[in-house]
Amino acid sequence: MERLGVFLCAGCGLGDALDLGALESVTQESKPAHLSRHPCLCSPEGVESIRQAAEQGNLEGALLGACSHRVKQQEFRFDPAKLVVERVSLREQVVWSHPAQQEDTQQLAEDLLKMGLTKLAKAKPAAPITDTLAPAVLVVGGGQAGLEAAAAAAGLGHPVLLVEKSGSLGGHLGRTRDRLPQGPSYEELEPNRLADRIAEIQAHPAIRIFTSARVRALRGQPGRFQAEIETLKGVESVEVGAVVQATGARPYDARRLPHLGYGASPNVVTSEELETMLFAGSLRRPTDGKLPERVVFVQCAGSRDPNHLPYCSADCCGVTLRQMAAIHRDYPRVETVTVYRDMRTPGQLERFYAAVQSHAASLFTRGEVEAVEGNGHLTVRLRDSLLGPSLSLDADLVVLAVGMVPNSADGEAIRALRDARRRVEKAESETQRQEAQKLVDQLGHHQGTEILNLEYRQGPDLPLLRYGFPDSHFICFPYETRRTGIYAAGALRAPMEAGQAAEDGWGAALKAVQCINAAARGEAVHPRAGDPELPDFFLQRCTQCKRCTEECPFGTLNEDEKGTPQLNALRCRRCGICMGACPERIISFPAYSVDAVASMIRAMSVPEEFEEKPRILALMCENDALPALDAAAEKRRQWNPWVRVVPVRCLGSVNLVWIADSLSRGLDGVILIGCKRGDDNQCHYVRGSELAHTRLGNIQETLTRLALEPERVKIVELAHDESERIPEILDGFAATLEDLGPSPLKGF
Amino acid sequence: MTTALLPSSSFRKALLERGGATAGKCYQCATCSSVCDLAPAAAPFPRRQMLWAQWGLADRLAGDPSVWLCHQCNDCTARCPRDARPGDVLQAVRGLLVEDLAFPRFLGRLVGNAGTTWPLLLGLPILFWIALLAAAGLLSVPQSFHAYEQLVPHWLIYAVYLPVAGYVAAVSWVSGRRLWRALGAGGPRSGSFFGQLMPVATEIATHKRFAKCGTAASRRSGHLALFWGFVGAAVTSGLLIIAIYIQGLPMPLPLAHPYKILGNLSALLLLVGAGILVANRLRDGKRTGVSTAFDSYFAWLVGLVIVSGIVVELARLLAGDGMVSPAVALGLYVAHLGVVLALFLSFPYSKFAHLLYRTLAIVHQRMADRKEPTAA
Repeated sequence: MERLGVFLCAGCGLGDALDLGALESVTQESKPAHLSRHPCLCSPEGVESIRQAAEQGNLEGALLGACSHRVKQQEFRFDPAKLVVERVSLREQVVWSHPAQQEDTQQLAEDLLKMGLTKLAKAKPAAPITDTLAPAVLVVGGGQAGLEAAAAAAGLGHPVLLVEKSGSLGGHLGRTRDRLPQGPSYEELEPNRLADRIAEIQAHPAIRIFTSARVRALRGQPGRFQAEIETLKGVESVEVGAVVQATGARPYDARRLPHLGYGASPNVVTSEELETMLFAGSLRRPTDGKLPERVVFVQCAGSRDPNHLPYCSADCCGVTLRQMAAIHRDYPRVETVTVYRDMRTPGQLERFYAAVQSHAASLFTRGEVEAVEGNGHLTVRLRDSLLGPSLSLDADLVVLAVGMVPNSADGEAIRALRDARRRVEKAESETQRQEAQKLVDQLGHHQGTEILNLEYRQGPDLPLLRYGFPDSHFICFPYETRRTGIYAAGALRAPMEAGQAAEDGWGAALKAVQCINAAARGEAVHPRAGDPELPDFFLQRCTQCKRCTEECPFGTLNEDEKGTPQLNALRCRRCGICMGACPERIISFPAYSVDAVASMIRAMSVPEEFEEKPRILALMCENDALPALDAAAEKRRQWNPWVRVVPVRCLGSVNLVWIADSLSRGLDGVILIGCKRGDDNQCHYVRGSELAHTRLGNIQETLTRLALEPERVKIVELAHDESERIPEILDGFAATLEDLGPSPLKGF
Repeated sequence: MTTALLPSSSFRKALLERGGATAGKCYQCATCSSVCDLAPAAAPFPRRQMLWAQWGLADRLAGDPSVWLCHQCNDCTARCPRDARPGDVLQAVRGLLVEDLAFPRFLGRLVGNAGTTWPLLLGLPILFWIALLAAAGLLSVPQSFHAYEQLVPHWLIYAVYLPVAGYVAAVSWVSGRRLWRALGAGGPRSGSFFGQLMPVATEIATHKRFAKCGTAASRRSGHLALFWGFVGAAVTSGLLIIAIYIQGLPMPLPLAHPYKILGNLSALLLLVGAGILVANRLRDGKRTGVSTAFDSYFAWLVGLVIVSGIVVELARLLAGDGMVSPAVALGLYVAHLGVVLALFLSFPYSKFAHLLYRTLAIVHQRMADRKEPTAA
C-alpha cells in the first residue's frame, strides 16, 4: 500500500510525555500521504478528521499513533476493504509504562511508529468472500440437547435437519417417567413432558427429522457443508451452513466394576436398568420378582476414579435423587439408602436433595463401597463411612449410579488407523509394515466408530480434548470444537443433566447460526470474530511438506494426491499457525504476513554497541499476553525501555525466520510471551502455544551453532490475569541479556 | 472389624412424630458441632448424633452422653444452613430415650404420648384424691376454716406422698442404672461416682454450662429461678414436717415466720422462672425450639403446680374474711394435691427426668475423660 495517512493523538497525556513534533519529523521521512495531529483522536471530531483525510487523500491505510488496539474499537472502526487501520499503542506501551520526556521513551515511540508504518505499507485491503450460503443447520442426535438445538435454530428462521440414529427421538430422557423439578419450589418430581415437546418439534415446518439415520459423509466448510444423510429409504444429499453435534453420552460399562457385584448377582443393577423398572412401573428384585425392602444406591460407580472415569459425571446424584423420590412415592414401604462420596447438587437441585432427604425412608451416608457380596440377598461393605470405619449393610437391590461416557468418535485416532492401514499395504520394508501393523492393532477398536464422517485430512470426526470430550476450550468458549462450524452440545460436550443439556442445545444452535452469518460475510468466528482477512497460499512454491495441513488446529486444509494443501478458507480461524509452520513462507494474510513482521523488525533502530542501548524484541500473543501488558500499563507499571513489542495473533504464528532475522540484525534477545499450555492449556487456538515451544526447541541448536547463547531467546507462558508479572518478565530478561553482554552480531 | 448396620425404621418413625422430623435435612456439614460451646473438643456433637438419628441407630444414641450434655441452647439450630434444627432433634431424641429408659416402660410411653393422654395423666391423681377423701369420709366441709389441716389432715398427705416418693426413687434408680450401664458400654470410667457428683452438683446449682449458651441465653435465668424455686419448695416441705411433728407449731404459720417466708419466696421464684420461660417461648419459638407434647406436658404440669399452690394459699388467706367458701377452698386444695401428685409421679417418665439423666451424663463425662469440656 502506498497512500498512507499518519494520525497522532495528543490526548491521554501523550502530548505531554512525548515530543510529538519530533515524532512528526521522523514520520515525515517516510513521506506519508497525510500527517496530522489531533488533541483527542477518539472524539467524534478526531474520528471525522480521519474520515475526511482518508476521503480527500484517497488513503488506503491509516496509522493511528494513539492507544492500544484493544480499546476504542467502536470509534476507530472503518470498512476494512476501503481503509486498513493499524494502531501504534503509544499510550499503553510508551507513555503509561515509561518515564515522560526522556530520550529512551521518545526513541521507543519513534521505533514503534516506524514499525507500524512499515507493517501498514506491507498490508493489503482484505478481500473477503461473500456468497449466498446455505442457511440450514444440521443437528446430529435427537436427545434433549439436539431437540432444543433444532428448536432454537428453527426459531431463528433457519431450516433444520435433525438426524437421529435410533428409531425415535428423546434419547435417555425419553425413557424416564419423571423429571427433576424445573421450577419453584424445586422440591417435587415433575412429570416428564418431553413427548409434548417432541410433538411440537415434529410439527415445526422448518425442521426435517430423519430417524434411524446417520451422516454418511460431511464435506466442505462453514456456510457450504454438504451432508449425505443415510436413512432406511436411501441417501439424501443436503447443503448445510453449520452443524450441531449432540450425540449425548452412554452409561459407563458396569461390567468393569466387578467389586460392586455387577454381573455376579442379578440384584445389582445400573441406574439405567432401575430406570427401565421404574418406567415400566414394576420395581422388582430380579432373582425372585419380589418388591425389595431396601434399595442401596452406590454413587460415583466408576466416576471420579482414575482407573475408570477420572471426572465427575455430574448427573448421577440428580438421577439417584429422582429415582429415590419415585420409589418413595410409588413404593412407600421400600427403604432407600444412598452411599455417596459427595452429593453434588448444583443450583436448585439442592432444594430437591433436602426434600428427598426429609423423607422417612431415605438414608444417606458418605462412604466408600468396598464390595457388594451375595447373590439373592446382598451385603454391602462400607469403608470409611460417616457411620464407622468398617460396616456392612444388608440390601435387596443395589443400584450402581454409573457415570457418563461421551458418545464421541476420536477423529484423530480413526485417521491414524486409516493411515496405518494404508502403510501396511504400501510398506516398503518388513519393519515398516510391522510397525504399521502394530498401530493398526492398537487403534483397531476405533474401526466403525465414525459419527460425522468428515472428509477432512485430519480425520473424520471432531478431535477430542480430555477424557473423550470434543470440547476445545472448556471455560471461555463452550460449544466450540476444533472444527469451525461444528458445535458440540449436551452430554457429548461435558457431563450434564438433562435440563442443562437443553440449555446447551440452545447455546450451540446460537453459535451455529452466528457462524452461518459470519461465513456469509466472509468473516472469522471467535476469537478473531469479524476478521474478514483470508489466508493466501502461494502454491507455486509449495514443497508439499504438509506441515500446514498437519499443524492447523482446525483441520482447515485438505490435501490433493500429491500432498498440496487445499484451502477451505471459511474453516480458517485466522490464527496464522500455518504461517508459523511454513518453511517456505508462502502463507500470508493481507495485513499479517511473514514479510510484514520481518519488515517491522528491520524498521527497528539498533544502536551501535558503544551506545549501550540494547534492543529486545517481544513477540506477544494478542489473546492473553497483550491484554496483560495493557493492564500492567493501566496500572502504570514500568518496564525496560529497550523492549519493542510486536503483537502476534498466536505464538503458533511466529515464524522462526523472525527470530533469526532479529538476531542477525544485532538485536540482543527475543522473548516470546504466549498463553499457558499443557494441563492448564489456555491457548485460544488450542495448539499454538504447544507448537511454539516445540519449534523453539529446534532453534536453540541453531543458536549454539551461530555462537550465540541460547539464553538470548526465551519463551514465557502468561495468563490473562497475570499483568503483575509483566515488569518482572521483561526486566528479568533484560537483566539476563545485560549479563550476557551485547550481541556479538551487532554491526555486521 | 466389620459391624452390621441395623437402622431402625420404628425409631425413625417415632422421631418423626416427636418433633425430630428435620433430622432428615442434615447433610453433615458439622456447622452445628463447631458452633456448640458445650461440646467437648474430643467428642463434638451434635453432627454425629444427627446422622444416628437419621438412620434410627437407637443403640448408639442411648449409649451416648452427648445427647444429655446438650442443653438445647440452639446455637446449632440458629446456624444450621439446612434448617435441620439439631437442637430440636436432640430434644426429641431425649424424649424417646426417657421413654425407653422408663420403668415400667408402658408408663414411659403413656407420658411420652402426653399429647393425647394428658387428661388421664392429670385427671387420675385428682380423682385418686377425691376417692381417698370420700373413703375417709372427709368430703363434708365445715362452716368455716382457718387451716387446710381442718379439711385434709397432714398425716393423710404424708401417707400418700411418702410412699409415692419411695416409688419414684425406686423406679428412678432402675432407670438411672439403665442409662449408667448404657453409657459405661462406651468405654472405661475412672474415679469415684460421689467424688464427681459434688462438683457436678455445684455446676448445676450455678447453671455453669447454661451460661455458655448463645442463642437461648435468656433461658438460663428462667431455668435457674425455677430450679431454686423447686429446691426452696422442697426444703420448705421438709421444714414443715419438723415444724408440725417436732416443734409442734400450730398451723398455719404466720406470714412472717421464716419457714413461711422461705416457702413464699420459693413460690415467687417459681412464678418468675416459669414466667420467663413461657415468655421466651411465646416471643421467639425459633430460638427456644419447637414445643412438642413432651415439653408442653411438663411445662403445664409445673405451671399448674405453681399456680394452684399460690391460689390455694390466697384462698386460705381470704377464707378468714369469708370471701372464699370452704367448699371452694377444698376443691382448689384437692386440685393442687392432684397436680403435685402428678408431678411427683411424672419424674421418671417426663422431661422432668433430665434432672437425673443429665446429672448422670455429666458425672459420666467427668469420669470418662476427667477433663473439663473445652469450648470449641
